[in-house]
Amino acid sequence: MKVTKVFSWSLMKQSLNANKVLAIACTLVLCLLTVVTTYAGNLIGGTDSVDYTDAQTELYSHLYVLASYNELMGTSLSYDDFSTTDDTTVYETVFSMMSAQSDELDLSCEQFAEAAETLAESDVGLDVYIENFEYVYALGSVQGCFSGDDLDVNTMMTNMFEMMGMSSDLLSTMSEMDTSAMLNQMYFTIMCLLPIILFIIFAGNELVVDQVDKGSMAYVLSTPTKRSAVVITQMIYMIVMPFIMVGCGFLTRIAASVAFTGEVDVAKYLALYGGMYLLAEAMASICYLGSCVFNLSKNALALGGGLNVWFFLCSLLGMFGFETMVSMGMGAEMLGVFNNLTIVGLFDVEALGTVGSGAVDYAFVPKLIALAVIAVVCYAVGAVRFQKKDLPL
Amino acid sequence: MPVISVDHLTKDYGHGRGVFDVSIQVNKGECYGFLGPNGAGKTTTIRHLMGFSKPEKGKTSISDMDSWEHSAELKNTVGYLPGEVTLPQGLSGTGFLKMMEGMRSTKNDDYLKMLLDKFDLDPNISIKRMSLGVKRKLAVVTAFMHDPDILILDEPTSGLDPVMQETFIDFVKEEKARGKTIFLSSHIFHEVDASCDRIAIIRDGKIVSEFKSEDLKSSHDRIYRITFQNESSYLRFVEKPFRFTSKNHGKLRARVQIESNRISELTGCLGDYDIADFVEIPFTLEDYFMSFYDTGHHFGKVGA
Repeated sequence: MKVTKVFSWSLMKQSLNANKVLAIACTLVLCLLTVVTTYAGNLIGGTDSVDYTDAQTELYSHLYVLASYNELMGTSLSYDDFSTTDDTTVYETVFSMMSAQSDELDLSCEQFAEAAETLAESDVGLDVYIENFEYVYALGSVQGCFSGDDLDVNTMMTNMFEMMGMSSDLLSTMSEMDTSAMLNQMYFTIMCLLPIILFIIFAGNELVVDQVDKGSMAYVLSTPTKRSAVVITQMIYMIVMPFIMVGCGFLTRIAASVAFTGEVDVAKYLALYGGMYLLAEAMASICYLGSCVFNLSKNALALGGGLNVWFFLCSLLGMFGFETMVSMGMGAEMLGVFNNLTIVGLFDVEALGTVGSGAVDYAFVPKLIALAVIAVVCYAVGAVRFQKKDLPL
Repeated sequence: MPVISVDHLTKDYGHGRGVFDVSIQVNKGECYGFLGPNGAGKTTTIRHLMGFSKPEKGKTSISDMDSWEHSAELKNTVGYLPGEVTLPQGLSGTGFLKMMEGMRSTKNDDYLKMLLDKFDLDPNISIKRMSLGVKRKLAVVTAFMHDPDILILDEPTSGLDPVMQETFIDFVKEEKARGKTIFLSSHIFHEVDASCDRIAIIRDGKIVSEFKSEDLKSSHDRIYRITFQNESSYLRFVEKPFRFTSKNHGKLRARVQIESNRISELTGCLGDYDIADFVEIPFTLEDYFMSFYDTGHHFGKVGA
C-alpha cells in the first residue's frame, strides 16, 4: 500500500500556491529596500573623509593666509573675489610670498582652486566651510587665541568648539562616526528583517495551524499521507522560502553594488546574508513550533507573531543603545538592554561585516550557533508534537 | 469480521462533551447510519476512525487495523467526506482535485468525469469563488474519486440542495449495491432513513438506541389522531386506558399510540363516540428520534 511518509510534492504545490502573493510581495519589498540602501550606502561611503580633510586643510591654509594678509595690508582678498575675478596675479603673489616665508607651507592658486572644488562636491558645501573659517577666525582674532601656528585643522576646530563650550571628545566622535556601518546595521536588523518577519508569521500560520483550525487539513489527512509527511513538507517550505528571499536580497545587493560602485566584497555580504538567513530560520522555527503545537490560529499567532514582533521592536529600540548612537547623543545606554532581549541581537552585523577584511572578528560564530540551535530545537519539537496530538478535524 | 469497529470508545472533552463507551460494528457491504443532534459525539467518533484523535479508552479499527496506528495506510481504501466545508486555500477546484489525486497517487479520469457529471460540478473556478453548495459537491467528489471500499461520510448532504440530496442518496445506494461499506453520520432523518440498513442514535456521547431500519418501518406501533365532534365525547374518550401521545382539549383532538394487534380494540370502541375525523399518522424515524428528546426517557430497542 502506498503511503507518503516524508515529503508530498502535491502538498508543497498547495503551500506554494497559498502563499504565492505574500512571498512575491515580501521579496519585492526586500529587493527594493536593498537597492535603495545600497545606493544610499554608496553616497555615504563615497564621502571619503581623508580626501576632504586634506582639502579642508588646504583651503583653510589658503584662507588663513589671505585673512592675515588682509589684516596686514588692509586689502579685501576673499575666495568669492578669487573665484570671480579674471586677474589672479595678486593672489598668486600673496601665496608665493607666504610660501617663501615658511617651509611648511606650499600655497598656490591652483591648489586653492582645487581644494575649493573638492569641498564644493562634499555634502556640506563650500559656503559652509568658508563661513566656518570666517567665524572661527573672527573669534580667534577677538580672543587672541588664534595664532598663525594654528593652521592644523583639528586644532582649529577643537579651539572653535572649546570656545563654543562643546566637548572636544564629541568632535573626535563625529569625525570618526561611521554612517555607513549604521546604515548596514539598520538594513540587516530592521529594514530587511521586516518583510521577512511578516512572511514568516503569516506563512507559518497558514501552513499548519490555520488548516487545522479551519478544517481543511482533514482533506490532506484523508489521503494516505502520514502526518510526518505533512510536517516535513511544511518544514521544508519554511526552510526554503526564507532562503530564496534572503538569496534574492543577496543577489540584488551584489548586483546593485556592482552597478553603483563597480566593485563588491562578496565574502562580506555572503557572511552577512548567511547570518540573516540563520536569524530568519530561528524566527521561522518559532512560528512553526506555534503552528504545530496549537489547534487555534490565534494562539499560534500569539506565540510566533508575538515573539517575533517583540524581537523586532527590541532590536529597533536596541539600535539606540549602540555605543555609536549613544556617543552621538542620539540614544541612551539604557536602551542597550533591549539588545539582550531579542534574538536579533544574536545576529552580529558588526562582526559579520569584518569577514573578507584583514581582521575578522569571530564573535559572530557562537551567536550564529545559538540561532541554529534555536531553529533545530523548535523545528524538531513542533514536528514531533504535531504527529502525536489530537486534531480537532 | 466487521469492517469498521468502534470498541468501547471513550473520549472525554470535559463539560459532558465527548463520547462515552461507544461501540459500533459495521459489516462489509452495510450502510450504517449514525444519527444524533449537533454536539452529540458523531464527529468525535469519526475523528477517531480517521485517526485524527487517539482514543482515551477503547479502540477504533478499520479492516482490523488500528485506525490511529495505521491511519495513513487505511486512507488508501477509505473515502472521507469531512463535515467541514473549508477547502485548502489558493487552489482552483481542478487544482484541488489534482492535489488530492497526487496525494493519493491515483488517477482515474473516467471515474472522476462520471462523478463530476453526476453531481453537475464544474471545478474550473477558484475555490474562493465557490458557493457553499459547490464546495460541498467538490468535497463529495473528492471523497469518492478514488473509488474506495469504505466510505466515512460526516453529514454528507448538508449544504446540498434537495435535488442534489436525492442524487447523493441514490448514489450512496448504488455504492452500497456495489458492495461498499458506508458509515454515515447525520442529523437529517431523511437521508439516514432512506439509505441506511442499520441506525444508531447517539445522544450526549452515548448510544441510546441501535436498530435495523427495516424493523422500524414495520414497527408494530401505530399512531392515530382522533378528532371529536363534541366535548363530552372527547372527555369520555381520554379517560380510556390507551397510550395517549398527545391530548388537545381546545381542538377536541387526541393521539393514540397502539400496537397493531390491538387496533380492533380501538376501532371497536370508537362507535360509542361522535367522531369528526380519524387519521393514521405514519410513524417515521423522525418521530422515533424526537421521542428521545420529547419524553426524556428511552423506549428501548424497537423490534428487539
